[in-house]
Amino acid sequence: MKVTYNWLKDFVDISITPEALADKLAMAGLEVGGIEEHHGDFVFEIEITSNRPDWLSVIGIAREVAAGTGKTLKNNGFVHRSRFTVHGKKTGRRISINIEDKKDCPLYTARIISGVKIGPSPDWLKNRLEAVGCRSINNVVDITNYIMFEYGTPLHAFDLDILNSDTIVVRRAKPGEKIETIDAKERVLDPDILVIADKGKALALAGVMGGKDTEVTDATRTVLLEAAVFNPVIIRRGRQKQGLQTESAYRFEREVNPGIVNQASFRAVEMIRELAGGDLFPAAGSGVSVVKKRSLVLSPLRVQELLGVSIGAVKIQKILRQLGFGVKSSAKSDLTIDIPFYRQDVVQEADVVEEVARIFGYQNIPATSPRVAPQVSGLGNRELCGLVKDVLVGIGLHEAITYSLIDRKSLSCVSGRESDTLIEIANPLSREQEVMVSTLIPGMLRVVGLNLNQKQENIGIFEVNRVFSWSGGDPKEELTLAMALCGVKTCFLGQGAVKDRISLLHVKGALETVFERLGIRTHRFEPQNETGSMAVFVDNEKIGVAERAKTEVLDAFDIKNKEVFWAELSLDKLFRHKDLRKRFALLPVYPGISRDISLVLKEEIKAGEVLLAVKEAAGPLLGDLKITDYYKGEQIPAGFRGLTITCFYRSDERTLTEAEVNPLHARMCVLLTERFGAKIR
Amino acid sequence: MAGVVFMETGKGPKKVSPEHSMDIETIKKDLDTECGQVNSSAALEEFRVKYIGRKGVLAQLTAFIPQLPKEERALFGRQANVLKNRIQDFIREKEKVFVVPPAARASSGVDITMPGLVQELGRRHPLTQVVDEICAIFVQMGFSVVEGPEIETEYNNFSGLNIPLEHPSRDAFDTFYIKPPESPDAGNPAGKEKFLLRSHTSPVQVREMKSRKPPLAVVVPGRVYRPDAVDASHLFVFHQIEGFMVDTNIRFSDLKGALEIFAKAVFGKDIKMRFRPHFFPFTEPSAEVDISCVICKGNGCSVCGRKGWLEILGSGMIHPNVFKNVGYGSKYTGFAFGMGVERIAMLKYGINDIRLFVENDLRFLKQF
Repeated sequence: MKVTYNWLKDFVDISITPEALADKLAMAGLEVGGIEEHHGDFVFEIEITSNRPDWLSVIGIAREVAAGTGKTLKNNGFVHRSRFTVHGKKTGRRISINIEDKKDCPLYTARIISGVKIGPSPDWLKNRLEAVGCRSINNVVDITNYIMFEYGTPLHAFDLDILNSDTIVVRRAKPGEKIETIDAKERVLDPDILVIADKGKALALAGVMGGKDTEVTDATRTVLLEAAVFNPVIIRRGRQKQGLQTESAYRFEREVNPGIVNQASFRAVEMIRELAGGDLFPAAGSGVSVVKKRSLVLSPLRVQELLGVSIGAVKIQKILRQLGFGVKSSAKSDLTIDIPFYRQDVVQEADVVEEVARIFGYQNIPATSPRVAPQVSGLGNRELCGLVKDVLVGIGLHEAITYSLIDRKSLSCVSGRESDTLIEIANPLSREQEVMVSTLIPGMLRVVGLNLNQKQENIGIFEVNRVFSWSGGDPKEELTLAMALCGVKTCFLGQGAVKDRISLLHVKGALETVFERLGIRTHRFEPQNETGSMAVFVDNEKIGVAERAKTEVLDAFDIKNKEVFWAELSLDKLFRHKDLRKRFALLPVYPGISRDISLVLKEEIKAGEVLLAVKEAAGPLLGDLKITDYYKGEQIPAGFRGLTITCFYRSDERTLTEAEVNPLHARMCVLLTERFGAKIR
Repeated sequence: MAGVVFMETGKGPKKVSPEHSMDIETIKKDLDTECGQVNSSAALEEFRVKYIGRKGVLAQLTAFIPQLPKEERALFGRQANVLKNRIQDFIREKEKVFVVPPAARASSGVDITMPGLVQELGRRHPLTQVVDEICAIFVQMGFSVVEGPEIETEYNNFSGLNIPLEHPSRDAFDTFYIKPPESPDAGNPAGKEKFLLRSHTSPVQVREMKSRKPPLAVVVPGRVYRPDAVDASHLFVFHQIEGFMVDTNIRFSDLKGALEIFAKAVFGKDIKMRFRPHFFPFTEPSAEVDISCVICKGNGCSVCGRKGWLEILGSGMIHPNVFKNVGYGSKYTGFAFGMGVERIAMLKYGINDIRLFVENDLRFLKQF
């Protein structure tokens, strides 16, 4: 809300500069977003928190300025009844008020001023309204706005002569009821919206905006001045439905205090008579304008317990009195605090403690070290995710973070079907964010696409995040790892650079490294129906998939002429198989003998089967077996590939001799030739 | 060649005749010839093995000594020794020539301005790095890290935290709601609580306090959702870190102390802090926390809106109503705070557009 330096000065003496005042306000909880000069005055843009409707007024802020600077309020806005004379007892219309539901409108007052002369406002009034961002209309309308800013109570002036009955009705709108509002828009209403009506039709959207028909114009002679309290929830719902935000609705939503309503109305009448003339006729009102007195007990010890600083009882009393609270000493050292009517936000001890702290100054409260009782939690999902990330980052992949809201099409495109367990957003911002992700792969592919557009030639990314689905009526969140690899990796070796084209085996290697780090040895990769796709199992439980992205999927993500390989697995499932216990194994005492076999194999023969066969046939003396080279190309006939297998023979009991190893190794070579048709080179 | 001769006779030392002392002279002569032929490190190694290897010429000479007559043994031994010294000296000399020290090799054979040969490292996402760093700071203070679900109940996200329905205080928490599942076999959510995407990490306060008794000192990193249109400073999915501490004697001064440690650890020990009164429905008293602007050091610039201060988090003493909602008695007090990870990361690294975090451009990711 906006308030000006000079306007505040109407209510409190200010002896500090606007900048110093802004600081003071900020440190009291009224954050000043900016100060602007306006015709010799200074306008403060202040962010008012939703708990302080009393601050949505010049008087409310002046009260705070007074408390913060040790001044007293010159004028609290209260107009003494003696200043009011009802002039038109004999003539003129008498109005009655009919409130359909007191819950919607706890208080409604109407005052009638007859014989007004509508015209432009004086410059000082125009200027002040302009300074706080309100356009001048005419003297009467401007006064209602001026009083709203000053008192925080929205007022509305109707042209009474246009009303076709003497009853003001506050009721819910009928379904389909129409009204043209002062912004010249025709609005269709419904029973969620509260209206002010005469016998026949709606005259205004209660507390939100007036109607065009009854607006005060140059022709207006008799004004009905409305001052009321409306239910905040109704106002909020109604103005949201109509897509409106007005200064009036803003205040009603935050609760207008009934205790100030009549004062604001009195003051407006006084101003109207000063600036537009006219006579006041007897008022009509319905509802309660008195706020129940409340008090609570505050223990100064509690202040110290909560804040961690000792503030003496005398100081506490002084602060609270400055803020308008009544303070009496009661039993023991406790204080009885009378809450001023305009502080509906203060309901319990903690609220009073905050008031004391605010004015005492947060900056004057020391900083102490909290005494934390240490709690050691074991290795949780978070730590395990950390291990996984360490591994993947260590092998050169970059972590990505993507949205967890997505469009249905991207999901079904990747998963190949419409899922019936997708979690839908009831109020999405757009179709692009209509469901929760059930797979991280679309996000990964998007990132790959973006980086391909940036001409990255080696893309390796992963994400650890949750995927979502319905599971028996409950939402399920599953911790998931996704990775995507694409392009050519340039490996610099001693002999020179090698261009390593990314393949599904790179994905496999990354996963194997993760499994190894988690102590998982029971994993296997199984080919799926489609080529270039494999299922990932641990202990015979399927935990994920790795595959070469299908062309139609890549098309959907605008990836052209590239191969992308991805994997996705459930970390929740994977982590159940983890085994991070380590056990030392004695280092071998006896040396071993290493023998290489270079062979040429038919391409369709699986390397894994060859290794398995050798391992089984060789028995316990074969300590280690691995593929140390593989090649295709010139020296190898088409349809074949060359492999070098390194066998490492070792015994735990003795040094193996050539005589022992040679026949064993020869048997392996025979096995390879006979069973797999290998040619030993 | 003496070597050959010797090998023939050396098959069995017992068969070797005493006149072998003559052989030392032969060996000496052959040695002279052979020394002249050692012209590479390989040849030198061959030479070494032949003469002083385990089964080399000298070893055989020495093995022969016991078979000599007693009176000849001493002389033979001395002669063999002289021979051995001469051979060793020769090898040492030649080694200097042929065996090049590693240092010399590196500077002569390799262009050390070539790129180092190494597996390139990937990086954790900058947001992960910031989350990890902040969590580590609080873990050092004794806090434990807890996570909670992203799909929450309306109660945990709002009512349990003293945020009433249809109240303007909810404006700050515009929320994505979840459509109940349609198919009948997916369960019947009728009468069940409304699910939503949590709009802050604070619901984990309710969850933790309902499941455990104080003392509690917890930090909660996590994703949160708000239906904001995406621009340079807004995303509809972003990250927060929540922290709270509950015990019988936790004070506002402890909150200040804990957050001061945090801010200095993240932004440097010269950073200034200020606590301003504010309003949050779930804390009372509440405070917003500013740090002196990391860009202009408090002098005022465009990043801090010329104020010299940057708002980094919201905090306060946990509201008595929250304690009531989770079934804690009035003997407990506690503080809570919450911050936006993206904002902290943007300030820390000087990032000007929040969208970079979700684009995952490798040129961006590799900078952290």
